[in-house]
Amino acid sequence: MSMNSEIHNVVWPRAARQIEEAEAAPRLDTLDGKTVCQLWDFLFRGDEVFELLESGLKERYPTVKFVSWKEFGSTHGSDEREILANLPEKMKSLGVDAVISGMGC
Amino acid sequence: MGQASTTSIGLGLGNLPVALVPGHVGTQSRQELVDNILGTTLDHVVQNLTIPPTAATLAEDPAPRDVVFSGTIDEINRLFTENQWSDSLPVVPPTMERVEAFLEFTDRDPNEVLAILLPDSRAATVWSVAVNGVMAGCRPEYMPVLVALIEAMGDPDYGVEHSGNTPGGETLITINGPIAKQLRFNDEQGVLRDGFQPNTTVGRFWRLVLRNLAGFLLHQNDKCTFGNTWRVVLAENEAVLDKLGWTTMAEDLGVSKGGNAISIARYTGSGLIASASGNTGDKILPYLADGVLKQNTWHLVFTIGTSPGTLRPLIVLSPIVAETLAKDGWDKERLRQYFFDHCRMPAYEFERYLGEWTEHPIRNLQDQVNLQRAPEVFAEGTDPNRLVPIVFKADDFMIGVSGDPLRNHAITFAHNGILGYPVAREIGLPENWEAKLRATR
Repeated sequence: MSMNSEIHNVVWPRAARQIEEAEAAPRLDTLDGKTVCQLWDFLFRGDEVFELLESGLKERYPTVKFVSWKEFGSTHGSDEREILANLPEKMKSLGVDAVISGMGC
Repeated sequence: MGQASTTSIGLGLGNLPVALVPGHVGTQSRQELVDNILGTTLDHVVQNLTIPPTAATLAEDPAPRDVVFSGTIDEINRLFTENQWSDSLPVVPPTMERVEAFLEFTDRDPNEVLAILLPDSRAATVWSVAVNGVMAGCRPEYMPVLVALIEAMGDPDYGVEHSGNTPGGETLITINGPIAKQLRFNDEQGVLRDGFQPNTTVGRFWRLVLRNLAGFLLHQNDKCTFGNTWRVVLAENEAVLDKLGWTTMAEDLGVSKGGNAISIARYTGSGLIASASGNTGDKILPYLADGVLKQNTWHLVFTIGTSPGTLRPLIVLSPIVAETLAKDGWDKERLRQYFFDHCRMPAYEFERYLGEWTEHPIRNLQDQVNLQRAPEVFAEGTDPNRLVPIVFKADDFMIGVSGDPLRNHAITFAHNGILGYPVAREIGLPENWEAKLRATR
C-alpha cells in the first residue's frame, strides 16, 4: 500500500462552544415614549452618527428619549470589561428600553 | 456587518440584528455621511428595534474523540481545507494515535479546559491543543510549550478576542529557559525564518488554534485588511544574555530566572535596523532610537487614546550589538531609559496621529494630562514643537537578544497595544520529562 492510499481516521480539530443561545429581548411596538441608550467605542465618527440617528429617530418618534454614549464611556479600551459589566445595572437605573451599540475597528 | 454577525454567534446572540453603515465613514464627506446614515442606517435601526429577529440555532458539534472522517492524506487535506479547519497548507492527519502521543508529554487531564476562547467561545482543552499541534507538524515533545501558549492566549490581559481586527497584527511568540535548547529551537542566525521545526511549527500551531478554537476565519471574524502569515517563534540567545548578566524577556514579564516560559505579544509590523555601527552606545543608540521611533506611527493611539499606556515597542538586538553596548556599560534598564528619552516626537505630530489622521476624539495632549489619562511628561509646556515620548514610561520598552551572533543588526516591532498586550506563562513539564525527551531522540 502506498503512503497516499493509507486510510487515516481523523478527529475534529475544533472544540465545543461553551455558550448557550440567548433569547433576543422583545422588540418595541413603537419608540415613542421609550428610552434608547447609545453605546460607542469612541472610533470612526460615532459622535456624528449618533447625532444623526437621534435627529432622524426624533422626526419619526417625537417623544423618544436618548441616553447619550457620554453617560457610559468607551465600550472598547482599557476600561471595557468594567464598563460592560456595569451596563445591566446602569441601564436598569436609567430606565433604558432599547440599545443602539455602534462599533468599528 | 459580517464580523458583527459571526461574532454575535459565539456570544450566544446568533440573531443579533445589525444595522448597516454603508462604506467606511473615514472616507466620507459630511454630506455623504448624512446621506448614508439617514438614507440607510436609520431604517435598519428602526427595523431592528421594532421587528422581532428570527430565532437562531447552533449546529450540533462532534464530541472530541469522534472520528469525523476516514480517508487518505489527500482526502483529509481537501476536507480540512474545505471546512476551513486548515490554513490550506497540508496538515498532518490528527489521528487518535498521534494525539495520544502528544498527551504523553503532559500530566494534564485531556479534558481540562485551558481557556474559553473568544469570539467563538470554544473550550480550548488539552485534547484540542494536542490535535492542533499534530496538524501543525509539531513533535509530541513540544506539548508543554503548546499548553503554556494556550494558557497565555486565554489571559484576559492579552485580549485574544481582538485578533480579528482590521490592522491584522500577528503574534510573536518568544521562548525562554532550558527547554528552548532541549527542543532545539533556533536562537541564532535566521531565527525568524521558517526552517527549524520547533520555531516554525509552533508558530503555525498558534494560528491554527486562532482558526479552529478561537474561531478567526477570513471573510468572517478575521477582518485583517491585509494580514500576513504566522510568525516563526523567537528563541532568545540565553548564552549571551547570561554572559552579559542581562535578564531575559520572560524575566522582564515576571517569570523567575532560569524558568521555562513563553511570552506572547501582537505586532502589526517590524522594521530591520541594519548595520548599527560603532563601538559605543553614543554611536549606536541614536540610530536604534531613530528606527524604533519611525516604526511607531498610528500605534500611538495605544499610548494615549483607546487604551492609555499599553504600547510596548520591542527591540531585538543581535548578540554582537548587545555585547558591544554591554562592553560600553549599558544594561537593559539604562537602554530602556535611553529609548524613553530619545524616541520622541513633536507634540503636534503626536496629536495629529490621534485626531486628524486616525479620527480618535482626542485633539490635545494637555487635555489628556489634565484628565489624568496621560502622565505629566506629555504636557511639559505648551509649545507644539516640544518633544514628547511615545510610551508612558521607560519600562514599556521591551528588549530581546537573538539572531545572527555576528551581524550588527537589530529589529524593532510595532506593538498593537491592548489588542495583544504582552503576557508570559511558565511552561509546566510532565514527570520524567528528561527521560521522555531522551526516548524521542
